[in-house]
Amino acid sequence: MDYFEPKTIREAVSLLARYGEKAKVIAGGTDVLVDMKFKEEPSCLVNIKRIPALSYIREDDGFLRVGTLTPIREIETSSLVRQKLPLLWEAAHQFASLQIRNTATIGGNVCRASPSGEMLAPLLVLEASAVARFSRGEKKLPFGELFLGPGQTLLGSKGLLTEIEIALPPERSGSVYLKHAVRGAMDIAMVGVAVLLTPDAGGKKAKDVRIGLGAVAPTPIRAKSAEKALRGKAMARAVVEEAARRAAADAKPITDHRASAEYRRWIVEALTRKGLAQAWKAATGKEVDR
Amino acid sequence: MSLNIRLVVNGRRHTAKINPATSLLDFLRDTLGYKGVKICCNTGECGACTILFNGKPVNSCVVLAADAAGAEIVTVEGLAEGDRLHPVQQAFIDTGAVQCGYCTPGFIISVKALLDRTKNPTAEEIEEAVSGNICRCTGYTKIVDAIQIAAERLQARS
Amino acid sequence: MAKAEYSVLGTSIPRMGGVERVAGAGIYGIDLVLPDAVRGGVLRSQYAHATIKSIDTSEAESLPGVYAVVTAEDAPDVKYGRTSNDRYMLARGKVRYMGDPVAAVAADSEATLKKALKKIKVEYEPLPVVLDAEAAMKADAPALHEEIPLPANLPKDTRVKNVCGYSTLHVGDPDRAMAEADLVVEETYETKMVHPQYLEPRIAATRHEADGRLTVWVNAQAPFGVRSEVSKLLKIPISGIRVLVTEIGGGFGGKATGTHSSAGLEPICALLAIKAKKPVMMVLDKAEETVSTTVRAPVKVWIQTGVNKDGTIVARKAKLIFDAGAYSGFGALAGSRCTQMLAGWYRTPNAHVDGYIVYTNKQVCGPVRGPGGPQAAFPVESHMDSIAAKLGMDPVEFRLKNIPKPGERIAGVPKLRDVSLGETIRVAAEKIGWGKVKLEKNQGVGIATGSWIEGSGPGGGAVVKINEDGTAAVLIGKVDYGTAPRFGIPMIVAEELGIPTDDVTVLNVDTDASPWDAGTVGSRSTLVAGNAARLAAIDARNQLLRMAAKQLEASSDDLEIKDRQIRVKGTPVKALALAAVATAAHNEIGEVIGRGYFDSKAVEAEEKEKGSSPPFTSHAAIVEVDPDTGNVKILKYVAVHDVGFVIHPQAVEGQIEGATAMSIGQALCEQVLFDDKGKTLNPTFVDYLMPTWNMIPKIETVLIKGYPGAGPYGTKGAGEIGCVPPPAAIANAICNAVGVRLTSLPLSPENVLRAIREQKGVEP
Ligand SMILES: Cc1cc2nc3c(=O)[nH]c(=O)nc-3n(C[C@H](O)[C@H](O)[C@H](O)COP(=O)(O)OP(=O)(O)OC[C@H]3O[C@@H](n4cnc5c(N)ncnc54)[C@H](O)[C@@H]3O)c2cc1C
Ligand code: FES
Ligand code: FES
Repeated sequence: MDYFEPKTIREAVSLLARYGEKAKVIAGGTDVLVDMKFKEEPSCLVNIKRIPALSYIREDDGFLRVGTLTPIREIETSSLVRQKLPLLWEAAHQFASLQIRNTATIGGNVCRASPSGEMLAPLLVLEASAVARFSRGEKKLPFGELFLGPGQTLLGSKGLLTEIEIALPPERSGSVYLKHAVRGAMDIAMVGVAVLLTPDAGGKKAKDVRIGLGAVAPTPIRAKSAEKALRGKAMARAVVEEAARRAAADAKPITDHRASAEYRRWIVEALTRKGLAQAWKAATGKEVDR
Repeated sequence: MSLNIRLVVNGRRHTAKINPATSLLDFLRDTLGYKGVKICCNTGECGACTILFNGKPVNSCVVLAADAAGAEIVTVEGLAEGDRLHPVQQAFIDTGAVQCGYCTPGFIISVKALLDRTKNPTAEEIEEAVSGNICRCTGYTKIVDAIQIAAERLQARS
Repeated sequence: MAKAEYSVLGTSIPRMGGVERVAGAGIYGIDLVLPDAVRGGVLRSQYAHATIKSIDTSEAESLPGVYAVVTAEDAPDVKYGRTSNDRYMLARGKVRYMGDPVAAVAADSEATLKKALKKIKVEYEPLPVVLDAEAAMKADAPALHEEIPLPANLPKDTRVKNVCGYSTLHVGDPDRAMAEADLVVEETYETKMVHPQYLEPRIAATRHEADGRLTVWVNAQAPFGVRSEVSKLLKIPISGIRVLVTEIGGGFGGKATGTHSSAGLEPICALLAIKAKKPVMMVLDKAEETVSTTVRAPVKVWIQTGVNKDGTIVARKAKLIFDAGAYSGFGALAGSRCTQMLAGWYRTPNAHVDGYIVYTNKQVCGPVRGPGGPQAAFPVESHMDSIAAKLGMDPVEFRLKNIPKPGERIAGVPKLRDVSLGETIRVAAEKIGWGKVKLEKNQGVGIATGSWIEGSGPGGGAVVKINEDGTAAVLIGKVDYGTAPRFGIPMIVAEELGIPTDDVTVLNVDTDASPWDAGTVGSRSTLVAGNAARLAAIDARNQLLRMAAKQLEASSDDLEIKDRQIRVKGTPVKALALAAVATAAHNEIGEVIGRGYFDSKAVEAEEKEKGSSPPFTSHAAIVEVDPDTGNVKILKYVAVHDVGFVIHPQAVEGQIEGATAMSIGQALCEQVLFDDKGKTLNPTFVDYLMPTWNMIPKIETVLIKGYPGAGPYGTKGAGEIGCVPPPAAIANAICNAVGVRLTSLPLSPENVLRAIREQKGVEP
């Protein structure tokens, strides 16, 4: 196995260009190392941890910028994130164990593109962008388009993720991330639901609603028909329930050894309902009308 | 291909030549002989291999040994001062939290890291600190006692 | 006996061996470093059922760095098994589950080993696979062991297949009693396969010594079993084998003996070492353990009970299908215990139970903590609640109504001496707040009881050697993995010798030096090694007192040892230092060596005459069910146990809490899953879910006193019984919370939610 510790982004990108499919980027290594032990060793390992200044959380003119090497634990303990992006905080807080959070990076979670990846549904509803470097230059890839399938992203084998760019949601919005797993945090999500809800000025209607679903399709997805059912509507119980049912229909889960497709749909419905109510409360301080 | 690294383990400097695919766990156990770092699941799930990496608890089985170049590592072997056990170690013995003892080094490191962060941990903080450590023998109940006593003793000390 | 009579018994001394464990010493099997050793590994079957057409090892053998490749051809044609010799150490002609060892390699490194294993070419001819035990009994099922006859005790005309054990129980006239009962309740239950998942991986290491003997290092619970199996399978005399036990990182029966409990590592390791002419060390990784080593067997149970209107049980009938896996392993024994327990531990004057122990193409049943117990208690104790509900009776009241009396029998215990069952129920009910605690919506309370066997079984010995400084070295055949050998045993010896526990060393097992023992299984450490060590210490004490008597000019009956002094009772000034007497002994008899043994037959005879007092337990739980997700959270958990006299309270509580948590795992989330070809779907800890901290409540253990058992000072076994009640206690609490009776484990969120929805009539 060839092994490199590039010191610059440019060096890393040229290694990826040179080795193509044969190269494997390693960041925290919590996914890569397990694969190396139980599946196969890549013929070339590109360890990007020695590239300086890729671990940061910065506020920048309406955006929060998170460096690709930022550990999940840094996100969880950042007061900036807690304050400005509680949704991301919640996902980080429910991410595996403390030990794993100290090691795993946000970039690794994004590039792994596991349908159950904890950060993905939240970033999807935040309409974040992945800032990536290719040998031809930098590209900004919106999360809505980034994921192609399990383990597959627009980065391909030659792109290097450098930053996640997140537009700060409106101040009066409310959000929540709900993870369902048998053991709680220390378990892979059977379903993850991220909700970001912005009420109208009167605090009666949902002006903008975004619902992201994890672990129920080959990629994290938005529950589009559920969102549509709510947009511009007064937040009443019946509307929320209808939206939750639609979210369940939007999901395309599979049956595997963790859960059946049917069960995952039930959970999508339950968590969407709960998530909408909680996000609404977070935004307006009010319960959803009966 | 091989790689030369330097690191500090329990205050001692080490230099070694490693295969870059090696995990930090295998390196610490097999090359440097720190057998207190236990191997179990090898997938980051059980916490038996927990060590402090620049002060933070990590699962050494899912960290590259190469990443430890320049780092300061603390394993359970590094906690006692001479014959005097660290209060967390002593508390595990005193409360009966050591049955087979195989999970114990990992637990002790997680708890030490917790008590380094906060002197008076809440139940939630304790849960957060040790949810990545599995014990198959004790049902955790005696470990709850151990953490409480360790915290009390450390508070009394400072 | 009151605690005050003893100086150390009844206190919680620090665990012997605790310091090295918390300090991270390399004392476990996995830490073993054998100079010059090479790495051994096993090639396992890729089919759950197939004939082996050919094995070509030539490519693997020619790889540089490979020292030996072995297949069945390299080993004597000897089969092994506990109740039936149905298995080879390396598959011969046929494989029967996807974990069966087919070949093994010794190589200079892990990497070469992996490469070599891949280069062994095995040609298989797949056979039909049967994974369900009920299906395996049918006429059209594939036969797994054509050459093994059906059990001789099967009733005539029983049309079954693949049955490797049959157990039955018959009392009174159950047909008539059932017909006359006021109410008959009938249910079916199911439990799933779980793996013990001790944290330390299994190892075996072997060196062929210059004198021709074999030294085998193991982290196994039954070193003498390993010795006899290696001897049998490799045709080496017992005297040619020495087994040394390392410290052990958990076992729970899964590390019981090497081969008949199906890991089969030690003989393979020995074969490799002989062929490689090098020491060989083998380590199983966790995923390999899950697919290849022994498990708690899954069962299906049909259970029927007749009761009178007043709540008196009049009859029980049950049928058990116990899935032994690919080989008989421990199946017939665990299955037989399960059969007995299906008759319950309440007064049941008429009963009939049939237990079929059946081969399937899966992992083999081992003596996993309380073998057969949870599989019986989940049906029995859930069923008790179902009956109570049908009678309109309170579950506690219904149970109390049917407590057996001293002198009566229950299944497995011909005559009860005293019965603590009722007291455990009353205490558990009180501690959980039965009928009093205010439950919120979706919260429920549940109770379940249990019992466990005691007494009969193999004997075992102990030797206590007195060093010249008056300290003692203890040799027993039991091993320590957080159990009695380094908690209770040193206390017993210290108590009898009048020395501090720090003066007692309990040595690890070396089959060349330690007394023979059947294995550290069956909650028998204190019973066997404790009784033996006590008698050995008394024997040593008597020798010391006799020698001191001359010097002190007193009768040895008037002497005692206290605080390292031999003195005349009541006249403490007339005393000799124990060390002086022990040293002086060298000139007379050499060192003082005390010997003791546990006489199994004597205990049996006494129990036959006076009856026995088995341990009983009641667990109670409060749970909260999330009606949206089916998630079950345990809010409070009480475990009440009668374990007789308590030598080391902390250790006993620890055993109970650990067993309880393990069983909560089986109740809520653990399960080995298969695809339809018999491949294990969740071999690693990523997918095999064991309870983490957040799932286990603080278990409140209450030890009931006053019912002495067969162990030293009246102790009873405590290591396994905690596993018995939890699944039913939790299922009963769930039923109380949301009104659904779950009849299949695990009580996972999906299964719970499905049941809730079905009950509500929601379209799935
Ligand atoms: C015990 C355990 C528990 C876990 N629990 C969870 C959980 O609860 N939730 C969850 O979401 N995940 C979980 N994971 C998965 C894993 O921790 C995460 O996916 C993590 O975020 C990966 O980050 P990393 O830095 O370790 O990535 P690595 O393993 O280093 O890399 C992951 C992937 O991303 C690629 N990659 C990394 N960085 C870049 C980059 N900058 N540019 C291009 N490609 C890149 C790598 O090539 C690889 O394919 C768990 C893993 C373990 C071992
Ligand atoms: S061995 Fe590293 S977490 Fe289990
Ligand atoms: S003490 Fe054995 S695993 Fe924790």
